[in-house]
Amino acid sequence: MTDAPTGSGSRDSQDVDALITDRYLDSLLAAHGRGADTGPVSADALPAFAVRLAADRLARDLPRLHPSFRFEEALAGKLNQAAALMRLPTAAGGQPVGLPPFADAGTSLPVTGGRGDVLDRFRFDGPIEVGRPLLIGGAITSAAISLAGAAYVAWRIRHPGASPMVRAARAVARTRLT
Amino acid sequence: MARPALWRVGRPEAGEPRLVHLDRDRRLVEAAQADPARFEALYRKYLAQVYSFAYYELRDHHEAEDATERTFLSALANLGRFEERARPADGAGASTFRVWLFQIARNVVAQRRRSRRRHPEASLEAAANVADPRDVERAVVRRDDLGAAGRALARLPGDRRRALILRFVDEMTTQEIAGILGRSEGAVRVLIHRALRSVARELDDTPR
Repeated sequence: MTDAPTGSGSRDSQDVDALITDRYLDSLLAAHGRGADTGPVSADALPAFAVRLAADRLARDLPRLHPSFRFEEALAGKLNQAAALMRLPTAAGGQPVGLPPFADAGTSLPVTGGRGDVLDRFRFDGPIEVGRPLLIGGAITSAAISLAGAAYVAWRIRHPGASPMVRAARAVARTRLT
Repeated sequence: MARPALWRVGRPEAGEPRLVHLDRDRRLVEAAQADPARFEALYRKYLAQVYSFAYYELRDHHEAEDATERTFLSALANLGRFEERARPADGAGASTFRVWLFQIARNVVAQRRRSRRRHPEASLEAAANVADPRDVERAVVRRDDLGAAGRALARLPGDRRRALILRFVDEMTTQEIAGILGRSEGAVRVLIHRALRSVARELDDTPR
């Protein structure tokens, strides 16, 4: 068994070493998928012994983890709730819409482009906590079970929230009424 | 290897139909885009992978769950923006949806890591529990091994660590990892090779 160069030389040799390692990993992980320890690799296509040893150990000692069943089902429930909200505009005769991106998630979503951004067509007054029961205008409970509620939610989604200035003016008006 | 599935799309240009390779998740994604309730199939399929990535990155069960939740909710909310981009070079089993999902997960996890500013030195006790509980001696040995492997992994800098997690835990191809990390395939190969050399040195220094 011959060990390949350790890759301390030129960039080309490092690329070659990296390629050999990559192929070894393909074989190793495929073998693990079959329940075997190692895959068929020719002796002249083996990475350095130390690299091979590290790869074997990581493949053996880094298992894939699964969250608790309770968490899995709870999140499935939340996703179903969110999915139901996304379907409501369709039920009310509108186009399906996406939920707004989460303002506090800090996620810059990968852009795949092409289809246009449906999210840009809708504006909400504020971030929606999809992970919790959704509250839109205080009507979501009835909205979930009644057509009138569905129509209201659809209307609410389609009509952009007022500007901060308008909301401030409304707040002032409400204050005066009470 | 299974023959790549091909799909004719769009109008033929200059008499040549455009052929693209099918993303292995295409049917599930299209179903979910048509009816968001059917996103559940994608969720069940990738839950453990996303959770594992989050756990190895954050090393905290609750934070991993939170990151997993945000990832899937964000993916569902933005599924309309996803567009398949499978290429012939990706092979028959490629999933550009999985790459897209993990791009979201990576962003969520990165944001979480930035915000908590906590020392990442934590034990992988939860992971150690996967060892056979009926064989105490073997379980102890495996737990030590796992700890050493986990510590070696945790000491790697950002993308090297992420690349190894995606390669070994989520068993992704180099192409998929390149898509998630925003690097070329060659760069990812070198990244993984160097990361393995670092892990090898680390494990070599670890008393066994």
